[in-house]
Amino acid sequence: MAAQPEPDAGQEAAFAIATPAAARRERIFLVVAAVALVLLVVVPLASTDQAQSAGLPLLVDRYWFRVATIVAMFVVISAAWNLIGGLAGYPAFGNVVYFGIGAYAVALLVTRYHWSFAAALGGSVVVPAAFAGLIGVPLLRLRGHYFAVASLGVAVAVGEVINNLDYFGGASGIFMPIVRSDLLFYYLMLGAALLAVAITWVVLRTRFGYGLIAIREDESAAAVMGVNTTVYKVAAYALSAALTGLAGGIYAQWNVFVNQDVAFNIDVSIDSILMALIGGIGTIWGPVLGAVVLEFLIQTFSGRGDLAVVTQIGLGLLLTVAVIFLPRGVVDFLGGRSSLTLAYVRRTLRSSGV
Amino acid sequence: MSEPGEVLLSLRDVTRRFGGVAALDGVSFDVGRSEVLGVIGPNGAGKTTLLNCISGVHRLDGGDILLDGRSLRGLAPHRVARLGVGRTFQIVKPFGSMTVRENAAVGALFGSSEARLPTRRAFAHADEVLALVGLAPKRMLPVASLTVPDRKRLEVARALCTKPRLLLLDEVMAGLNAVEVDEALEMVRAVHASGVTIVLIEHVMRVILGVCQRVVVLHLGRHLAEGRPADVLRDPRVVEAYLGEKYASRYAGG
Amino acid sequence: MAEPLLEVRGLTAGFDAGPVLFEVDLDVAAGELVALVGANGAGKSTLLGVLSGLVPSTAGSVRLGGRDVTNARPEAIVAAGLVHVPQGRRLFGGMSVEKNLLLGAHLRRDRDVRGDLERVLGHFPALADKLGREARNLSGGEQQMVAIGRGLMGRPRLLMIDEPSLGLAPNVVERVIEVAGEISREGIAVLLVEQDVVMALDAAARAYVLESGRIALSGPADEIERDPAVRRAYLGL
Repeated sequence: MAAQPEPDAGQEAAFAIATPAAARRERIFLVVAAVALVLLVVVPLASTDQAQSAGLPLLVDRYWFRVATIVAMFVVISAAWNLIGGLAGYPAFGNVVYFGIGAYAVALLVTRYHWSFAAALGGSVVVPAAFAGLIGVPLLRLRGHYFAVASLGVAVAVGEVINNLDYFGGASGIFMPIVRSDLLFYYLMLGAALLAVAITWVVLRTRFGYGLIAIREDESAAAVMGVNTTVYKVAAYALSAALTGLAGGIYAQWNVFVNQDVAFNIDVSIDSILMALIGGIGTIWGPVLGAVVLEFLIQTFSGRGDLAVVTQIGLGLLLTVAVIFLPRGVVDFLGGRSSLTLAYVRRTLRSSGV
Repeated sequence: MSEPGEVLLSLRDVTRRFGGVAALDGVSFDVGRSEVLGVIGPNGAGKTTLLNCISGVHRLDGGDILLDGRSLRGLAPHRVARLGVGRTFQIVKPFGSMTVRENAAVGALFGSSEARLPTRRAFAHADEVLALVGLAPKRMLPVASLTVPDRKRLEVARALCTKPRLLLLDEVMAGLNAVEVDEALEMVRAVHASGVTIVLIEHVMRVILGVCQRVVVLHLGRHLAEGRPADVLRDPRVVEAYLGEKYASRYAGG
Repeated sequence: MAEPLLEVRGLTAGFDAGPVLFEVDLDVAAGELVALVGANGAGKSTLLGVLSGLVPSTAGSVRLGGRDVTNARPEAIVAAGLVHVPQGRRLFGGMSVEKNLLLGAHLRRDRDVRGDLERVLGHFPALADKLGREARNLSGGEQQMVAIGRGLMGRPRLLMIDEPSLGLAPNVVERVIEVAGEISREGIAVLLVEQDVVMALDAAARAYVLESGRIALSGPADEIERDPAVRRAYLGL
């Protein structure tokens, strides 16, 4: 139902109202996504040894499996972050701790307790979630910057503890039995990515999602409306931990080796937040687009030696430009709501006091 | 003044301190079922603090608040909402990234135990309530595009969607001109007619005289006076502490 | 009338959503208290925003004391003697009352700043013992006084006050409007935007009625108050 807002002193429509054009754009996007999904599932099969000996054309090089697996992994981590950072508005800077806990859960369960990998993956979901549920209650009493820093502190602390205890293999980490199949891990991560997106989609359609967004927009208003803010925040935090842990668990077996540097790398947290930001914070597809775009940029611009510094700077500049011109992310741009013009930038800056 | 069954909300010796200062000091009064009670008093008298204590945003330092005989003391805000208390905020707090409809629906999705509807029913209920407050034509718009009076209407609609037994309105009329106040009064009357007990804080005397059955006056955190609006507004203590001579003469006729 | 202090001709302004003000003509003479009334959304705050340089105009002119200040930068307009006391007080909450007041004199380089502070406290004696208190810990009425005081510290020739009565107790509103009258009697012109039409028209010499961005009515305040259309629309009679 398209209606023009009455012009009012001091107010301007900073958003587009739902129009047929936007609906059509959304349909196109979904079709593209569906086609992409089919390709993602089917095309790699052509690269298997069986397919190759059967004479099928090599559609993708195995190198791209690794890249695609990394991208899928970041989709999971970024979508997971989006639940607590984007939807609930609590910017967790230390979510990599759950990646690490999930990775170590798998590593320990397989090597020390002789669980199967599949069963161990269950542990990579449950253990991080339980941990998040416990520390979430006191941690989520903090707001904004305080919460961000505290969550980062947790990540650093847990990483250090693990690094110093022999039970966790100490500094030398844990080696897992080798499973040589890029294709398996590709499909596992892809599955996890689909799961993460599906969960986001479901959350946004239910009472849970509305409650989280209400908490983000105005926590005290949400509380007096009847939202149990503590339970909802902790639930979102635990859910994001579970998904992040799953990514860590899959990665542990894929990488065959875990230690503090591998599993508790703060860069992972930062990259995943950037992806959610430039993709479109609080949206379903934002983390996906962000992961694809950012990982593509990182792969393209990664260099060695002197080139590395230049490319890092270039990447940083690119990100700054993206945040300025696409403050609501790529998703909004594709939805026709942003535009790459200075006028739009000025409007966004002015209307940020709404 | 009234029999136990007739009293919905009872404040007994309510005290709330900030630092060393008592924002509320031993305040006691009753709100009858289906009544419209006005709360007036100078700024700093403790009116908003009073609403905050009832809705669970502030803890009581002394005394008790009973809703239908049940103590609200120490309950978290969402628990108080669950028991059927809805409220608006003086400075409206819309959920900025949602549409008007979604804002109202949040009230219906959560809210009192009468509410907490499944998603589709919640939105249907939101539509009904928005129609009641006159926001139906704008329900698909983002809240950013609403005028000030409309934002206040949305604030009321959202609280109404929680299906409250008791509705607390905090200066809903501030910033409205005479015609807009009349429209808002119509809305308040309609809400009242649907069976909701209302406590409203106001500085706009037209509203107090126009819709309140009784008025409580707070001053420096204490209960100063109570009674029918016309009587209270003539009380010399109230005139001195709050109304001022000019307003008193304007409204002396009642 | 001798050349007015503030002379607005044909002022048109708006935002991306559309024009909000249409060809507004308005005069304020030195030392005059002029009321501007109108419904929400009529454009009153936008008009003050244009006059103080916060909102650009697309057509028309604004002259202050004979100088053209159309679309001048806000600092230049303040320096020229036009000070805006915005709606909702907008004090620096974390700063003390005294700092807030002194910030009003920020652009001034003369030595009379302390003297002016004393004069402001003369208008608002209730603030004298609260100078050290953080602005956000004052009551609404006290905050409004600080806001007006801060405006006065800029030694304006014309003070524009936007809806001072918002959210204030009736006796405080009475006092604030009284102060507006005192200020204008001291020779500072006041343009008062108000929802409380009765109070505003009582205190003002002349008034303008703004409707949907246009000046619908203008004239001596008591004539405006008696106008049947005004009584119907704004006094609900």
